[in-house]
Amino acid sequence: MNSEYELKNKDEDIYILAFETSCDETAAAVSKNGLEILSNTVSSQVDLHKKFGGVVPEIASRKHLEFLLPVIDESLEKAQLSFSDIDAVAATYGPGLVGGLLVGLTAAKTVSLFLNIPLIGVNHIAGHIYANFIENPAIEKPLICLTISGGHTDLLYFEDLKDYKILGRTRDDAAGEAFDKIARFMNLGYPGGPAIEKAAMNGNPEAANFPRAISDNESFDFSFSGLKTAVMNYINNKKQKNEEINKADIAASFQEAVVDSLKIKLMQAVEKYDIKSVVLSGGVAANKRLRTAVKKEIEKYGLDFYYPPLQFCTDNAAMIAAVAYYQYLNRDFSDLSLSADPSLKL
Amino acid sequence: MLILGIDTSTEVLGLALADENKIKAEYNLRLRRQHSEKLLPLIKEMFAVLEIEPSEIEAVAVSTGPGSFTGLRIGITAAKIISRINNIPIKGVSTLEITASSVKNNGIIIPLIDAGRNRFYFSIYLREDNNLKLISDPEAAQLDIISKKAAAVGSKDIYVVGEKSKKAADILAAELDNNIIYPGREFDYPQSSILAVLGHEYIEQKREDDLYKIKPKYLKKPQAEINWLKKYGSQKSES
Ligand SMILES: [Zn+2]
Repeated sequence: MNSEYELKNKDEDIYILAFETSCDETAAAVSKNGLEILSNTVSSQVDLHKKFGGVVPEIASRKHLEFLLPVIDESLEKAQLSFSDIDAVAATYGPGLVGGLLVGLTAAKTVSLFLNIPLIGVNHIAGHIYANFIENPAIEKPLICLTISGGHTDLLYFEDLKDYKILGRTRDDAAGEAFDKIARFMNLGYPGGPAIEKAAMNGNPEAANFPRAISDNESFDFSFSGLKTAVMNYINNKKQKNEEINKADIAASFQEAVVDSLKIKLMQAVEKYDIKSVVLSGGVAANKRLRTAVKKEIEKYGLDFYYPPLQFCTDNAAMIAAVAYYQYLNRDFSDLSLSADPSLKL
Repeated sequence: MLILGIDTSTEVLGLALADENKIKAEYNLRLRRQHSEKLLPLIKEMFAVLEIEPSEIEAVAVSTGPGSFTGLRIGITAAKIISRINNIPIKGVSTLEITASSVKNNGIIIPLIDAGRNRFYFSIYLREDNNLKLISDPEAAQLDIISKKAAAVGSKDIYVVGEKSKKAADILAAELDNNIIYPGREFDYPQSSILAVLGHEYIEQKREDDLYKIKPKYLKKPQAEINWLKKYGSQKSES
């Protein structure tokens, strides 16, 4: 379908408008030549979902429909561009909540048809990974990337930015999902990652000994459901015995177990592959304890270590606009019949 | 005025193009849950066949439900973007009004949209010549409730149209003394050409919608919200 559109060459400036509506952030952004972000607008619904202890899909979908257009307007305004300046339009088409995805994707398809510019469907997980390259365009390859969020836990090997291999992924809960479930169980609030991290600050990470990933295992796969159950059993046990429950200690010990498990598998991969850099990505990469612990290990190997700045850890459309640029260069365009894929994998 | 009508509120994907009151194209495709995949390719194909550029569209009408929430959001999102890009008026029209408008005879008209679990979205209209008047606001109910409401409107002819209207008409006929009329299969879905014509009329009367405020008629709070209100009442200070 390349011939349908007038395409720009690599040496011309390429402006991409991108939408992200896969979860509870309604976002639009404009990128110039991929990694230069001209605007990055996010309307967060986090506060709306807080009282339910998790994202309510129907509420999220309603809000995406309401907020998307103002967010697009603001994004174009900040970039000082109008629709007619845009060379391609991109949207997350998965993974995520289908109702939300359909709002962003339908908007992008309509822009594509009415401006006669290419449509680029982007994988949300790829977005989180490329968020790193926005801040660190000179990152050296090959690299290993650990991408961790509420929906995914993937360990990836990148030969270059177009070519990667999946080394391992979670067999049950995603790391962020474990944070959310334990935070809810302990009534610490939502979202679970920051809530656990905050509670853990004054806690003793060695107070309880929760299970870790097994390091002498060949596989790079993760598993967090056993840990989740262990923490719940520990709390229920204390309750039954009428013992005092120290939330700070439990949060710190749980966080430490998650951090250790992630670290163990990441370092196994670092040992096995000849790489130049290590990258953390996804919402859970915002966890400071994780960053510090991983950084310490990576430095022993003399490798470069990157993690996204906090504003790119949460969902945003800048990262989608960045991925879309590489797809534009590859002429990797989508058809107007593209479906949303709630369980899209990398 | 070249107006595009988009209806994704039911399992029928409706797409029509009208110029003043001349219908230039009309698609009503029973697709079930494929509106997201089919809507934009269909618009594109229609433009290609008619040799029309997207930029020539001068107004857009969209059905606002009641109906499938996900379906409605697909159509309304597309309509909003079209309105924004072409800088043209947008008008949302009730799916029940579109369905009721297909009946040109005088009498009571009850349009139905399947709401699942034996319930229907419905409203009651009265047609007197060219005037279609809403006499009972849209709501969701089972047929026995609809029957009671219909009984209260008097002894006029009652036309039953919309989804599952044949079955509904049979049941109402057994319960009511009114003359219940099922006008036929061609009345059992919202017709997109009617949407385009109605949208055009509203816009001519300067009754267009605010692009930023137009939204589906949900008729129901999200279930999580209902559960939460049941549990905590109307107190809002939960942290
Ligand atoms: Zn994400």
